[in-house]
Amino acid sequence: MLLDLAQNTLDGLGAGASYALLALGFTLIFGVLRRMNLSFGPAIMLGCYAATWVNLNFQANLLLLAVVALAATTLAGVYVERLCFAPHRRGSAIAAMVASFALWMQLEELATAFLPRHLYAFPPLYAGGPLELAGLSLRVEAIVMTVAAAGACALLYAILYRSRFGLAVRAVIDSSTAAELSGINVPRVFAAVFALASAIGALAGILIASAHEQVTPMLGMWSTLKGLAAMMLGGLGSLPGAVAGGLALGLLESHSQWYLGPQFRDLTIYLVLFALLALNPRWMTTRSAS
Amino acid sequence: MAALLEVKDLVTAYGKIEALKGVSLEVAEGSITCLLGPNGAGKTTLMFSIAGVLRPKAGSVRFRNEDITRKAPHAIVSSGVALVPENRLVFPGMTVLENLQAGAYQRNDSLDEDIERLFARFPRLKERAAQPAGTLSGGEQQMLAVARALMSRPRLLLMDEPSLGLAPLVVEEIFRIVAELHRDGTTIFLVEQNAHMALKVAQHFFLMEQGRVTFSGDPGSLAEDEVIRRAYLGSAKA
Amino acid sequence: MDDYAIGVLTNVGLVSFVALSAYLLLLAGEMSFGQQAFFGVGAYAGGMLTAMAGLPLPLAALGAMALGAAAALLVALPTLRLKGLYFAMATLAAAEMMRILFELLHLQREIDGEPVGPDGTQGFRGIRWVLEHGIEPEGYLILVWGVLLAVLVIVLFLENSKLGATLRAVGADPELAASLGVSVERFKLGVAAAAGALAALGGVLYAHHNTYIEPRNFDIMLGVHSLAYALIGGLGTALGPLAGAALDVGLLEGTRLFGGARMIVFGGLVALLLVFRPRGLLDEKVVHWLRARFS
Repeated sequence: MLLDLAQNTLDGLGAGASYALLALGFTLIFGVLRRMNLSFGPAIMLGCYAATWVNLNFQANLLLLAVVALAATTLAGVYVERLCFAPHRRGSAIAAMVASFALWMQLEELATAFLPRHLYAFPPLYAGGPLELAGLSLRVEAIVMTVAAAGACALLYAILYRSRFGLAVRAVIDSSTAAELSGINVPRVFAAVFALASAIGALAGILIASAHEQVTPMLGMWSTLKGLAAMMLGGLGSLPGAVAGGLALGLLESHSQWYLGPQFRDLTIYLVLFALLALNPRWMTTRSAS
Repeated sequence: MAALLEVKDLVTAYGKIEALKGVSLEVAEGSITCLLGPNGAGKTTLMFSIAGVLRPKAGSVRFRNEDITRKAPHAIVSSGVALVPENRLVFPGMTVLENLQAGAYQRNDSLDEDIERLFARFPRLKERAAQPAGTLSGGEQQMLAVARALMSRPRLLLMDEPSLGLAPLVVEEIFRIVAELHRDGTTIFLVEQNAHMALKVAQHFFLMEQGRVTFSGDPGSLAEDEVIRRAYLGSAKA
Repeated sequence: MDDYAIGVLTNVGLVSFVALSAYLLLLAGEMSFGQQAFFGVGAYAGGMLTAMAGLPLPLAALGAMALGAAAALLVALPTLRLKGLYFAMATLAAAEMMRILFELLHLQREIDGEPVGPDGTQGFRGIRWVLEHGIEPEGYLILVWGVLLAVLVIVLFLENSKLGATLRAVGADPELAASLGVSVERFKLGVAAAAGALAALGGVLYAHHNTYIEPRNFDIMLGVHSLAYALIGGLGTALGPLAGAALDVGLLEGTRLFGGARMIVFGGLVALLLVFRPRGLLDEKVVHWLRARFS
């Protein structure tokens, strides 16, 4: 019993680490723009497809694939920003969101035009079996995922709180008008944040694809839904909240899957999300990034 | 004295509604110039249009004989114009020190000296340097907003109702600082509803009503004109 | 008309119901990601009422609409005071819950030696009322569009009445509307219920067109598509959502324009269109202009 609990908690944290990265990407974009980017997941999917294509044709190692995914996702992310968000900066939030949905469809079709099969294998994070430790089988993928996610969070923290660019990002999150008046080039910060968020998303995508050892076109929608859910759970717009929300989502999934089964797992997630939103507790409505 | 800022026939609209209907005015180098007028006259719109946050439909803004009408706000800051916006708009989640650093975002040189000098001028800010700006009192936030704007070393400081919502003692403090800044060589263009205070410091006045400049003159002519009564009426309504 | 064209036109009509449903809420200032749930409720309820309870289609449609409205109210009551993204996510969560409930729904009856009814993820087959009553595809096309046009006439009429003005006022500035004596909350609940009933009506017709439905017909893609149709077509008139659906399903899918690269072209075009027309093709300005021209 207790072993199961511990094992599920470990697995949940591993998955939660990748959700945390997705939520961080979403939060950055939402924080600076106050806009929802539905194409966030699909850009990640495109990156993973690019990596898969390189892998199929050149048999590259995982690190190189990660670089390919990073480049392709970032490119797609900046493209989405230019076409869907830069023009609607002061305008309609719904128009920006629908535009990002239109590009979702576009990115998805672009990916499947190159790789039309429903499913492609992706190299695993770690080919060996699980580590045995005090009766727990530690999946190495989960450890790698958690460590990589923690590293990315630390790096992001350093960028946001210790660099000049980070100062500008946080200023825009706090008040984009005041940021403009302080001499910060706000449109450029938007584009840079999109690139940064895409890079974080690409890392999450690579980790997820190699943990699942496959990519499908569904990865786009999947990433968008998981990232959104984790962001909302952690309190919209808060960076530490995004990490907490991702981990909470991972734990909630692994435990409800174990005790209730896969269908009830998703039901539980949406039920919790719905209930939290309906009750609208204060920590879900924090707006500040700090 | 030469005009540092020249606004000519400026028209700014929100959709179809024109908030500025052809505003022309000049701010002389080295002066304190004050813009009076009732709520909804378009004063804040004018400030935002000069600072580039709002894009005018027609007309021009020239600063040091350079056309800055269609420049982006950050470029206007680097050409030497800084706005202390209405309601202060500090970065609430960032510390006082970070707010000041953000204000100097266009600069690449060392900030230590400026920060030191501003802390000497605003000792309260030094005490609270590591505190999030959102936890400051209204008066302190106003000081911070002014200090942040000064971090860009502006030639022209625009101030939009710096006394709004502050206690009388704090208002006096703000105006003392305005006078000091002026003495140190900064040109100041001030929006104010508190005509009493403005009369003490400003050398030139404009009155704006319904998107137009309806009066221009020095304190003497302002006092003679029945316009001053109307300006007071405006402040009484606020 | 060949069968393919009939199929495409029928589909345009069917999606238009969900798009209209999303459109009504957009006018009220709420962006719902969950209207597909009520489309699903209508499809399941309508299918069960005809195939399992033996009711005629019109009665089943009424029942399904009532159920759709009730489900919409159930979702709207705790969520309507939420704003923007919060509301969108809450409706999305509710719709996904509904879809999973369809996956868990096993309720079959033996009819003529065959099990009929929802069978979880296996879906719900044998919704044959239309076939059994000898309605040809052309006939069903006319039925779908007839119902849609009737709905449209009602919505267009209401849009031009005081009710429509109130709806736009509530959407544009709820505080102002409240100060004018509109009970904003109750009004929005009413809109949500009507939108739910409308989506459910579409769902009934959809189920009887396809004769087979499954839970993933009602996933988030349908919801986002209907939102997109409403916005692309334009927020100026109830014809907007129809125009959006016709453009995507009808023109592009139907004519197989751009072949396999349909979304690569269309997706980019939509994003570009929204740069220049952020409230869609038939926005308020165009509608106003058209009206001035033709009346």
